[in-house]
Amino acid sequence: MASSELVQRPEVAAAAPVATRRLGRAEGARADRRPRPTLSPRVRRRRWLGLAYAAPALVAYGFVVLAPILQSVDYSLYSWNGVTTATWVGLGNYVSFFTDPALLESLWHVCVLIVFFALLPIALGLISAAMLGRARQRGAGVYRWVLFLPQVLTSVVVAVIWKRIYGPDGPLNSTLRAIGLGDLAKNWLGDFTWALPALGVIGTWTALGFCMVLFVAGVAAIPVELYEQARIDGAGPVREFFAITLPGLRGQVAVALTLTVTGALRAFDLVWITTQGGPGTSTTTPALLLYRKAFLNPDVGMAAAIGIVIAAVCLLVALFINRLSDEKDA
Amino acid sequence: MLKKRHLMGAAVLCVGVVLGLAACAPGGSTTDASTSRAVSKDVSGKDVTLKILDFWQGEEGKWMDAVIRDFEKQHPNITIKRTTQDWGQVMNTLNLRLADPNGPDIALVNNGWQSMGTLAKAGRILNLDAYSDLYGWKKEFPDTISRQVEFSSDGKQMGTGSLYATPAARSSLIGLYYNKAMLDRLDLPVPTTLADFERDAAAVKAAGGVPLAYGSQDKGSSTAILFALQNLYAPAEKIGDFVYSSGDVPITDTGIVQAAEDVKKWADAGWFTPDYPGIQYADAQNDFVSGKAAFRFEYTGSLQFSEDQKRTFGYVQLAQVGGEQVVGTGAAAANLSISSKSKNPDAAAAFLDFMASKAAAQHAVDHGFLPLLHSDLTIPSGNPELASEITAQRQLDEDNGYTPYFDWSTPTMLDTIGGQLQQLYAGQVTPQQLADAGQKDYDTFQAQRTKG
Repeated sequence: MASSELVQRPEVAAAAPVATRRLGRAEGARADRRPRPTLSPRVRRRRWLGLAYAAPALVAYGFVVLAPILQSVDYSLYSWNGVTTATWVGLGNYVSFFTDPALLESLWHVCVLIVFFALLPIALGLISAAMLGRARQRGAGVYRWVLFLPQVLTSVVVAVIWKRIYGPDGPLNSTLRAIGLGDLAKNWLGDFTWALPALGVIGTWTALGFCMVLFVAGVAAIPVELYEQARIDGAGPVREFFAITLPGLRGQVAVALTLTVTGALRAFDLVWITTQGGPGTSTTTPALLLYRKAFLNPDVGMAAAIGIVIAAVCLLVALFINRLSDEKDA
Repeated sequence: MLKKRHLMGAAVLCVGVVLGLAACAPGGSTTDASTSRAVSKDVSGKDVTLKILDFWQGEEGKWMDAVIRDFEKQHPNITIKRTTQDWGQVMNTLNLRLADPNGPDIALVNNGWQSMGTLAKAGRILNLDAYSDLYGWKKEFPDTISRQVEFSSDGKQMGTGSLYATPAARSSLIGLYYNKAMLDRLDLPVPTTLADFERDAAAVKAAGGVPLAYGSQDKGSSTAILFALQNLYAPAEKIGDFVYSSGDVPITDTGIVQAAEDVKKWADAGWFTPDYPGIQYADAQNDFVSGKAAFRFEYTGSLQFSEDQKRTFGYVQLAQVGGEQVVGTGAAAANLSISSKSKNPDAAAAFLDFMASKAAAQHAVDHGFLPLLHSDLTIPSGNPELASEITAQRQLDEDNGYTPYFDWSTPTMLDTIGGQLQQLYAGQVTPQQLADAGQKDYDTFQAQRTKG
């Protein structure tokens, strides 16, 4: 998961409500217009003016986002090494996505990564937000800052640090040996069973800060009166969390879930730098196979198909999570 | 409601555009890049600037600069502009850069299907046969070396056909490095056969040392040891034929099963660096150079010895099991191709010729690298380590025992074998199963290759 993605996340989160608002207004405007068959020249001019304002952005968006997506869709229908003439294979690449054992295995790995990249940090983030939000004790800022730190580190730096930590003589094993748990020391990233969870923990570490900051901000927005009332009614910290904090954070949880799950689906840089998918194939991800097929052994069509599937799944996940949180709102 | 209509519209639009695009397949038409125009050795006259894309940094970069200086002295009208990036950067972007009319005139191209094969097939690099006739390359280069840069013009055959690149006069072998100081301390002779090596290694282990500096965390580089051992078991021709897809050599004829059995045996005997599954490539190299282990199988030119260490380390090419013959993986450290978009192919060819010249080889030796194609060079004194590499290489020359890098055989072979090796150490596959996985990779690729 790229830290750059994570850094971008708040923007995405901020942009979403704006988009829906804009859509809402457009809907309203059109409803007003319906009885009138023709538009007044002023309105029409205003409409063109609006488009003109948006044109540079639209052109840029079309050029850097839409065109490449369409091009990828096109590529994905061919068997192509990137240089010579491609041969049309129709949906063949998509079929092999779901029949190739290597890709199927990588999908399973992604499921494991979702637990570590999304579910764990959100759970831990909620707990820490509940603790930080309830008692406004001293030093909370420092705590928040320390937890958020992994967010601002480049993923390459994070990967290199953790490679050292997980090394055979790294801090983790040294600590285990020092406290008499030497039997648990192992080659974390070289072990078939432990490499994937070890990678997952790195993701948890990076995503935790982001989730926590998001949730702490969310808690701050919950009216204090609600908490006071709950306390007067005799609610304990657990009850308070489930009755007030969690419902109040629904929106934030949806945002965090969308971003971290899609992050897990796209996991590449951490994996590439730490294990390159090894040992064996125990930590391969679809994005890693995409990179390999796009650049190392040119099979651009298959790479494009993987990219399109990842994008489609990300979109579906985002839609599903948003739908879920919207329904609860209603 | 409105949202749904938008979605539908977008979907219809997408499908429409895709169908429109589908009419035009990506990738241009394959151009015939044979040198149909007249070629000339005479490159004097007008001023020419040649752009070269390479991945040589550090000491290798200094070697390249020295060669370029000499070349420019000989051809004052030719100016060479180097662009240097790391290996991955060059390899991953080469296909596109060579399509650019303003791209490099000369580029370092990797052997094998993935890079040179694809570029030859697509006509992005020049067929050098005409220049070869002019400069006598094919006659001068040993067969085993020129075969590494040959492809049929349809890109379906490797190791035969036309010349698409020329080697630089610097070689890269895989063999056994030893720590002479450590062997001397234990009163052990430098091994020349596998049996010698195993005896020494057992003695080092018995004395409480680490026989082999090795880490298998990095998939790709963990395979050097296996490739080195294959050469001790299989005839050079078999490995060559397998890699070049010539004839129908099964992978089991390339010594891979025996090699895998050996490394597994050594791993289980505790001869590798402790915790080797978690040791990275660079760390294993450091362990060896800093004297923590007695031996290491490695590519020549990749260990950084200090001046002092050059006196206490050495290199040997072990003889084949049950024979005197020396067979080893060896190739040019890099190959140079000319872009078919180059406006000055004659000048570029002159540079290619110079890169394979004795002067370039002498510069290689002066910078501490193993030369290629030339033997009557002045070996600098005070570098016994390089001298031992040169001795080993001469043996290979005499026995004509060069084998190509095993991973050229298919675009995915390195990754497949690397992953299998990690599984072998973990006890998840047997040596035979490792070989089977390699064969499967090979068969899949062969089916694809013949299909086009």
